[in-house]
Amino acid sequence: MSIIASNLHKEYHTRIKDEGLRASLKALVNPVYRKIIAVDDLSFTVEPGEIVAFIGPNGAGKSTTIKMLTGILHPTSGDMRVLNMDPTTRREELALHIGTVFGQRSQLWMHLPPLDSFSLLARIYELDNKSYRMRLAELSELFELQDLLKTPVRKLSLGQRIRCEIAASLLHSPKVIFLDEPTIGLDVIVKQRIRELIALLNREEKTTVFLTSHDAGDVELLAKRALVIDHGRIVIDDAVTSLRKRYLNRKVIEVTLNDTQSPLCLHLPQGAYAETPEAGKLRCIADTRQISVSDLVKYLVETLSFNDLTVSDPPMEDIIAAIFRGEEYQK
Amino acid sequence: MSTIRKYTGLLSCYFKVNLAAALEYRTSFLVQAFGMTISNASFVFFWWVAFVQIGGRIGGYDFRDVLFIWSVSSSAFGLATIIFGNLNRITAIIVTGELDTYLLQPKDVLLSLLAARTSLTAWGDLFYGVILLVLSQGRDPHAWLMYLLGVITGSLLFTAIAVSAHSCTFFFGDTTMFSSLALEFVINFCIYPIGIYPLLVRFIMYSLIPAAFIVHLPLAIARSLNYGLVLLVLAGTLGYCLFAYWFFYKGLKRYESGNLIITRM
Repeated sequence: MSIIASNLHKEYHTRIKDEGLRASLKALVNPVYRKIIAVDDLSFTVEPGEIVAFIGPNGAGKSTTIKMLTGILHPTSGDMRVLNMDPTTRREELALHIGTVFGQRSQLWMHLPPLDSFSLLARIYELDNKSYRMRLAELSELFELQDLLKTPVRKLSLGQRIRCEIAASLLHSPKVIFLDEPTIGLDVIVKQRIRELIALLNREEKTTVFLTSHDAGDVELLAKRALVIDHGRIVIDDAVTSLRKRYLNRKVIEVTLNDTQSPLCLHLPQGAYAETPEAGKLRCIADTRQISVSDLVKYLVETLSFNDLTVSDPPMEDIIAAIFRGEEYQK
Repeated sequence: MSTIRKYTGLLSCYFKVNLAAALEYRTSFLVQAFGMTISNASFVFFWWVAFVQIGGRIGGYDFRDVLFIWSVSSSAFGLATIIFGNLNRITAIIVTGELDTYLLQPKDVLLSLLAARTSLTAWGDLFYGVILLVLSQGRDPHAWLMYLLGVITGSLLFTAIAVSAHSCTFFFGDTTMFSSLALEFVINFCIYPIGIYPLLVRFIMYSLIPAAFIVHLPLAIARSLNYGLVLLVLAGTLGYCLFAYWFFYKGLKRYESGNLIITRM
């Protein structure tokens, strides 16, 4: 196993205070603390070479879990093994074999070209000069960094910087890479490129990828398996395809109408509703527990005149939003 | 031995990268270094006025001795912040969660975080100390030797004091103010003759506030040629550094990280 987490638990004590100066003075004399459980009895495993999406709403415990698995934080209780090492006691040794990219945190020197940071990182990761040069050439080609290497990081675009960040975290050929929001703030094209690179890395070097993201596209296009965490607990551990098929039992039917009739005048059967209607287009969501797709299509065929009709699964972002809202999971 | 070689190599690599980053702003570098030299020079001017007015010795030190302790203090502090430029930012690194970056690296956290930055003004401090020494001690080999000892052990002691004070952040929250006061406090005890203090304070200067190890003992050795005292300086430095290292790691176990957006400058 690349990663084993058994009954991981992490709690903090944080000071709380009411509003205003009086409360500040009171807190000075008699501070009140509240226990916050960030991660609660978390257990899961990740196979070598897997790409696992670790998703959940803000404050669910994603970052705390990653920080425990990488040795930054010590768990309050529970066991964990990453590459058969305990991150708490063997942090330095483990760091030689894992890579990390925190989308909101940089490991590059802003005022220097990436090449200078890479050369320092090569020293930190104890790479000999020959291995470093070879690896740099590989990554430069893969990530198309040739034109960026000598430009100060502060002058790179966000997309270029993230490419350099990921390359920096791969210099030492890690066996497991932790990506925390790697595509945050990137435009659609750059996001796509980053996803392709991560997929390629996983395919070519069999790197295990543990990914957190709020972007449904990252989950949908990269991961085979999703771990959904909420309030510090795993609420779903399933294949991404299963999430799509099983969750909510919903189907999306999109219709391109052949005249300008208003879809708003439709009275859809029980279990179906129209979403984002616009002139000439209709998007229906069917709850297949209440109405079958064939019945709804039949109704639409009888009621409307249209050029085109497509039936699809709901987009991943709808599924993730529904999970976060706590809607029932249909196994 | 290979660990020492590895870390020496790493520190020199950090030094080169930091200097390269600092030199991206050459004018700022020169202005800050020059500014620090001028600022320091004004203090020595006041000492010169004091000696002219009072004459002879103050607290057992003549003007040449005062220039020696100024020279060692200035260069030691300069060297500390050139090599360990983050020593004044440890609290900020802890409270913003920047410490994560260093915890993810396969190296000693404390050494990596200290060495990940250099200070521009510190070059002014370092060279100012050298200039003072040249002007005040001439070619006196003992003074030069003890200057070197004081600068090396002093830079380690200044770093150890900063590390110890900033590590309180792990236990009590933000201690930026306390830490900068602690450093200033020690510096103040380094730049006045030890003889002006009562016995109890002198004892403190050999224990809690290690100012005696930074400047006063090296001066005493240079003047008395009692080189046996070097061992005392080395032992004091080692003790302080070990305590700071232990205290930092003790606190690190309580580290709670953070999620602020961080860039490295």
